[in-house]
Amino acid sequence: MAHILDSFENALNELRRSVLTMGSMSLRNLEIAIKGCVDRDTDLCNSAIAEDDEVNELEMSIDQQGMEIMLRYQPVATDLRKVLAAMKIAGNLERISDEAESIARRGRKMNKHHELADLHLIEPLYEQARFQLEDALRAYTNGDIDLAVSVGEKDDKLDRAHRKLVKYMTSAMAEDSEAVKDYLHVIFIIRCLERVGDHSVNIGEEAVFMESSHDIRHGNVDKLEEEE
Amino acid sequence: MVVIPELTAPTPDVLRGSENSAAAAAAASLSAVQGRPEMAVEIRDFDFAYTEELALEDVTLDIPAHRVTALIGPSGCGKSTLLRCINRMNDLIPGAGVRRGSIRVQGEEILGRTVDVIALRKYIGMVFQKYNPFPTSIFENVAYGLRISGLSNRRALADAVERSLRRAALWEETKDRLHEGALSLSGGQQQRLCIARTIAVDPKIILMDEPCSALDPIATAKVEELITDLRSDYTIVIVTHNMQQATRVSDRTAFFYVGKLVEEGETMKMFTRPEKKETEDYVSGKFG
Repeated sequence: MAHILDSFENALNELRRSVLTMGSMSLRNLEIAIKGCVDRDTDLCNSAIAEDDEVNELEMSIDQQGMEIMLRYQPVATDLRKVLAAMKIAGNLERISDEAESIARRGRKMNKHHELADLHLIEPLYEQARFQLEDALRAYTNGDIDLAVSVGEKDDKLDRAHRKLVKYMTSAMAEDSEAVKDYLHVIFIIRCLERVGDHSVNIGEEAVFMESSHDIRHGNVDKLEEEE
Repeated sequence: MVVIPELTAPTPDVLRGSENSAAAAAAASLSAVQGRPEMAVEIRDFDFAYTEELALEDVTLDIPAHRVTALIGPSGCGKSTLLRCINRMNDLIPGAGVRRGSIRVQGEEILGRTVDVIALRKYIGMVFQKYNPFPTSIFENVAYGLRISGLSNRRALADAVERSLRRAALWEETKDRLHEGALSLSGGQQQRLCIARTIAVDPKIILMDEPCSALDPIATAKVEELITDLRSDYTIVIVTHNMQQATRVSDRTAFFYVGKLVEEGETMKMFTRPEKKETEDYVSGKFG
């Protein structure tokens, strides 16, 4: 059932559209930043860096929209959670785009040197982080609680892969002293991808909160299962 | 009021009328009644009708003591009717009456024919939508109920008036003009005067029927603050159309729709994660 006030309904729909747009932009920034690194394409890196500004602006716009909705319509129940979730998801998407920018800046530096043979090893990690982000955004879009919870479960796998890869790069760095700087860049990129996974988990948690009102943050996912 | 026979069954002494019905004594006795202390009002399987059609149907609701309970719902849902049933204000409406069920106050059935409604209404005060002070002085407005209860000592009256005005957060604004006409006060002050008049006779329960709907935002804020403050001494039941007011002042909220209680619970829960879709739709402004 729609709200009696069309303007309230429209404002909530607009807020949701803004979050989805921001999600697409962050996802794309991450994709072109990684592509810029792996394909050694500095133009792509520059593009990811430049487009982060748009994501930042969109985050501020979503906060403004959320604030206006709270001020004008005093949302309650699901509506209130929609607004709170949108604002918090926007914060996480902005951080994801920051991670993409950071990856692109490191990629741009690495592109000035010889290609690091081990660089392609970041691609599976990126794929996993991207899947998590896509799942989190799909869970938000469709109100899919199970999918949202699964993002947290998948993140454990990403964390393990991250630790394993950092360990490998650290030992590889010891054997190739001339490429120390590039290995350090790669280790930081791996760290950025791990953070993307964490932000995706946060987005999933907000999707659960929005849909069910359950706060599953900080390991409280069991409470959701108990109440179900 | 039409009262079905079984409801007239055992009526407690404290609510039974007597020839020398000293209301003060009755109210004093009533306040000493041993009921379930946690529930000020218990409504069970309650049906009420003004004509043939039920205005309230199968309502079962507990109103806890020393809490503010908000009754919400669209116009005509029965919330004000229920409020007025709690102190039997509907008795005087021809043809209207209880069709089924019971209302117990502090454990005492109040719907019986022999219940002393004067004592009941002293025990359960009421504040209305439109402030309605008597066209007398501020002092006399508050003293009125005490005088008809038999209190005549000037000093005792003055003390009680001051105590009531202080409790209604109106003393500082009126102490130098107690003998001026009550109608010279602002709307918000008049409403707080009505609250002072209500609490002067020491009720235990206060019913409020949209007490702020005729007030500006500042006067509304003062009355809301007063409601929050009074909670420690009184059980308050408030009917409001203002959702934000319900969230600000009440501990529990009951949502009514077409004469039925749809859902009731902790206010925070009712406005953040209601269980019924009808509740969610109403509080979210999707119908009403």
